[in-house]
Parts: sequence; C-alpha cells; structure tokens
Amino acid sequence: MTAQAEARRDPTRGVGPSGARAEPPIPASAGVGLKPAHYRDILEARPPVGWFEVHPENYMGAGGPPHRYLEAVRERYPLSLHGVGLSIGGAQPLDTAHLERLAALVRRYQPGLFSEHLAWSTHTTGFLNDLLPLPYNESTLAHVARHVSQVQECLGRTMLLENPATYLRFQDSSIAETEFLEELASRTGCGLLLDVNNAYVSAVNHGFDAADYLDRFPMEFVQEIHVAGHVRRLDDLDQPLLIDSHDTPVPDPVWILLERALKQCGPQPVLVEWDSDIPEWAVLMGQAERAQHTLERCHPAAYRHHANAC
Amino acid sequence: MSDIKTHTLSAAGVAGAIALAVAGATFAPTAAASMERCYGIALAGQNDCAAGPGTSCQGSSTVDYQGNAWTMVPTGTCESIELPGDRQGSLEELDRDVPGRS
Amino acid sequence: MPTLAETQARFVAALRNRDTAPLPLVLGRDGEIPALRFDVYRNNVHVSLVNAIAAAYPTVERLVGPDFFRGMARVFVGEALPQTPVLLDYGAGFPAFIERFSPASTLPYLADVARIDWAWHRAYHAAEGQSLTPRDLSAVPAEHLGGARFTLHPSVQALASPWPSLSIWRTNRHDDEVRSVNLRAGGEETLVSRPGHEVGVWHLPNGGSRFLHRLLAGETLSDAAGATGAEFDLVTTLQTLLTSGAIAHYRF
Repeated sequence: MTAQAEARRDPTRGVGPSGARAEPPIPASAGVGLKPAHYRDILEARPPVGWFEVHPENYMGAGGPPHRYLEAVRERYPLSLHGVGLSIGGAQPLDTAHLERLAALVRRYQPGLFSEHLAWSTHTTGFLNDLLPLPYNESTLAHVARHVSQVQECLGRTMLLENPATYLRFQDSSIAETEFLEELASRTGCGLLLDVNNAYVSAVNHGFDAADYLDRFPMEFVQEIHVAGHVRRLDDLDQPLLIDSHDTPVPDPVWILLERALKQCGPQPVLVEWDSDIPEWAVLMGQAERAQHTLERCHPAAYRHHANAC
Repeated sequence: MSDIKTHTLSAAGVAGAIALAVAGATFAPTAAASMERCYGIALAGQNDCAAGPGTSCQGSSTVDYQGNAWTMVPTGTCESIELPGDRQGSLEELDRDVPGRS
Repeated sequence: MPTLAETQARFVAALRNRDTAPLPLVLGRDGEIPALRFDVYRNNVHVSLVNAIAAAYPTVERLVGPDFFRGMARVFVGEALPQTPVLLDYGAGFPAFIERFSPASTLPYLADVARIDWAWHRAYHAAEGQSLTPRDLSAVPAEHLGGARFTLHPSVQALASPWPSLSIWRTNRHDDEVRSVNLRAGGEETLVSRPGHEVGVWHLPNGGSRFLHRLLAGETLSDAAGATGAEFDLVTTLQTLLTSGAIAHYRF
C-alpha cells in the first residue's frame, strides 16, 4: 500500500482494543475472493488485484496444499479473512476452540482485516453451515455486542461485522437493521462490512428501498464493501424472492448501489465475491476492474493516476 | 517378492530385510516442474458464505428415508465389480438375498 | 416474547424437520406464511452439507452414481450435523454410516472404499512432516535397526479390508473407464501418506497395516515384525514405507 493510499484512511479508524493493526492493511481498491480454481492464474500471472479474501474455515486443516497456496498468495498480496463459522449471533456461548483456531490463523497470516456476519449458524445440535437470520431487538443487541467484544479481545484486534442477506424477518424484531448495526459498532468499537448485494437482496425480499437502506446505513463505521450476484425466484405469493447465490456477475442494480455507497463512505476496499459456478479467472478479473473503475470514478482525487469525473 | 518372508524373525533376518528394503526403495519427492508439483492439487474448500450450488427454494432438500420408502438404486460404476457366488455384475440378482427388498 | 435461545431452537427444529412449522416466529414480505422462504434456509443447510460429504467421498459417488450418493448423504446429514464449523473435518462417520445403510448393502465393499477416500482427505489436510529417505536409513548399521522405533509422518494411515477395496478405489478414482474387479480376489491392505504435498496411496502386503499400527504404538521394528503372521512380507512392507515417505524419524 502506498503512503498516499494510507493517508486516505482515517488513522483513528480500524484500531482495535489493543491498538494492534496487522500489516499490510487492505488498500481501498478492488479485491477478489480467492478460490482454489484460480490459485494457478494468480501465482503465475500476478494479476493487478489490490488484495484477496478467504474464508478462514477452509484453511483450518493442519497442513497440506491449502496452506502452501495461501502462503504463496499472502507473500504477494494483502489478505483479508472473512469468517463464516463463528455464529456470532448464536444464543449459545461462542465456540472458544473455534476462536482459538481463528486466532492462530490471524497470527500466521497477519490479515489486514477480519470480518464475520451478523447471523448465527451453530446450535446445540451442531453446525448448520448457513447464515441464519436474527430477531433485531434489545436483548439480541446486548447479546451480540458481548460476543463481538469477546472476539475482539481474543483476536487482539477490531473486527468488522457484515449486514446479512435475509429471506424472512422475525415477528419480534423492533429495531431496524441499520440502527442495530450502528448501535453494535458504537458499543463495541467494531467496524462494519457493507455488503451491497445483501442490502439489495433483503430490500427486494422484504419490500423496502435499497437506496433508502444505504442512506440510513452508518457509513462512518464502514471499512469494507462486498459486491456479488444473486438469483431471482418467486415465493409462494408470486412475490420476487432473491437468493444470495454468489454465482453470477454483479448485476447492474448492485453496481448502482455500490456507487451510491462509495459516495457516502469514501474510498474503501471493495470485494468481488463469487463462490459457486466459479468462472475462469478473466471473468472475475473483469468484475474487479469494474469495481476499481467505480472506485476511481467516485473518488477521482484519491486515485490520481486516472481520474475521471464521476 | 523376497526370500525374507520370515516365519520367525531373527535379528539378522530383520537386518537383512532392512538392507534389501533400503536397496530396493526409491523415495523421490517430486521435483518442482509445474505448479501442482510445487503446491499440490488445488481442491475447493467447503465453507462458503453463499447459498451453495444447486440450492434453491424448491424444497428439494428432503429425501424420505423410512426403510422401505427408499426407492433409489446405485447407478454408478459399481456394476463393474464382479459379485461373489458366480454372479457377475447385476445388482438386481443380488437383491434377492437382501432382506426387505424384492 | 421468546428468548433468543428459544427462537433458535424452534428455528432449528423447523429447519431439520419439514413437519415442524417455523411460525409464528417468522414472516415473509407481507406478513404471510413464508413456507417457500423458509425452504431457502432448509436447502442451504442440507445441500451445502451434502456437498461437503461429496467433496470428501468422490470415489463413493462414482461407484453409486450422483442420485443415490446424494440421497444417502442427505440421510447421513439428517442424522449427524457437523460438530465444528470446520467442514473439512466433517464426514468422518460416513463409512460407518454406509455400513449400516441397508439400501447400500448390495455393495459390501462400499464402506471400505469410503474409508480410503477419507484417509486420502485426511492426508491432504494433515500436518507437514519429515520423510526419511532410504539413504537416511542406510546410514545406520543394519544390525542396529531392528531395535529402532519409528515416528511416522502425520499423514500416514493404514487400512485393512476383507474386500479388494484398494483395487476398486484405484480404478474408480483414476481410470476414465472403470476396470472390472473380481470381489473374490480377496482382501487388500492400504497405506495412505502425503510426503510433501502429494497424497499417495499404496498397496501394503497382508499384515502390513497391523505392523504399521504396532510401529505407531511405539514398538521396535523387530517386535512389530515378529508379531505379524508367518507369511508377512517384511521387505516389501519396509520398501513401501520408504517409498511412500511414511517414516519421519527413528530413535533407539
């Protein structure tokens, strides 16, 4: 990361409870979710991607090829860890063995960012491997805030929390999701990961305006943005039902929302996620270029090299 | 393979076996010729943060399995495994030996 | 208002059992009964876990075909959720499940083939370790080696089967066109190891897995060899261990 890019960041942000910050930080540029299908392309061609992100759970084996590849990628690019297994909204206590595994990976790979989801996935019967929705109320808020603080204490750093894509809502939700996230960030000092696709998916699924959601999102806490694709279905009542499938190019409404978000939160790391039906590398690279272009158009002053007006 | 298929193993027998084994073994960690040779096979991880491939809202996640409600039969390559009792290949033929199937 | 724990317990019960309604906890867009919406979560859970099983057991899937395999894995997932969020550890119990899954009983070798798949999967993710070369071992006077105790590479696993499971595994894992295997050919023993980064699967002489387990338990080479059967082929077994990089250290 250049000194210029570093200067763009508010130096008071992203500092954890211990004040520790791993190097190198994630630059405010386009990154890509790292998939094994692309290890070879990336290591051989060294494409001009700003950074990569992985799900740490896929690297929790003791050794073998996954670590060899990740180490090689990490030597060449900044890395972010995006957890999918912590069940931070789970009613039961956090799995301390899993936290310890995360802490070990953080020590080993020194990621620029660590993020997780505002969701739950573990129950007394086991791990359900999906990001399940939470009722938004005072008691959930206090509970999740305690878990976030516990994670930050254990990892010795600030974490980011991501807004979920949801297919249904809870009858006993009394707090808006944006307000819930804002309150969590204020109470715990955590940052937020704004998933623009999730915002769009939830907006369509629940019949609210995604632009309005972004306008109410607490942008001052945002330190990373995700974009991805989804599929469209119909529910029982022939209402549109979007599914957060991460298996298509980022659709136009999501690109439009990304611009809206970037104008509000300033230049941020923008990740292109593609997790199923993984295309060849060139397709993902094209998506990353479009994300980078969007960043540069929205914040020409921050990217001096080719500053086109937004 | 060798003369040292031992019935009772003397120390000399063990030593001889080791000498023969060492002489006959070749352990050559693969040279770094291609990426796979450098790092190993790249296999996809199973932890993701999206709906998995093949998921939908069609309710296809259930498979009724209550003993005799199961109607599937293996359709893969298992037919090329020759079955005992001078019966070759056909799974149907073996079915008659399995309780609860017809 | 239900507690978070009550809400989640109810949610899980409805996820796992189609006859259990998630209501009145959750609502769709217009406050309607969100059956189809709830199915999205049901499917995400079960399809993704079936996929995790399929990733670890590709040879079993080829043997029985994708439909039977996914049906069988779905029953397994219904019985046993992962106990940690690390899905590369999920599925250790699948071979034992296959053994008692009656629709698969026409394929009595299937569980042992599954065990080789799982050993391969474990070796792939196993810790790094050293591998002694034949040259390392030849530096020690042969007459002393009988008293040596071996530490094996962390990836090493040995399996014994009453069926020609390795032959079945090999042709289904590697051959474009599966070769026929005679089930009456007798049992086979298998060694799985990952020296460096490449998982290898080797045939072990009869008694080889018992010999290996004795080495793992800390017995000397002489004691481990002496405890195996009369027909035990020590030379080939040792050659296989050396060729596969299975021996990490020796000590006296």
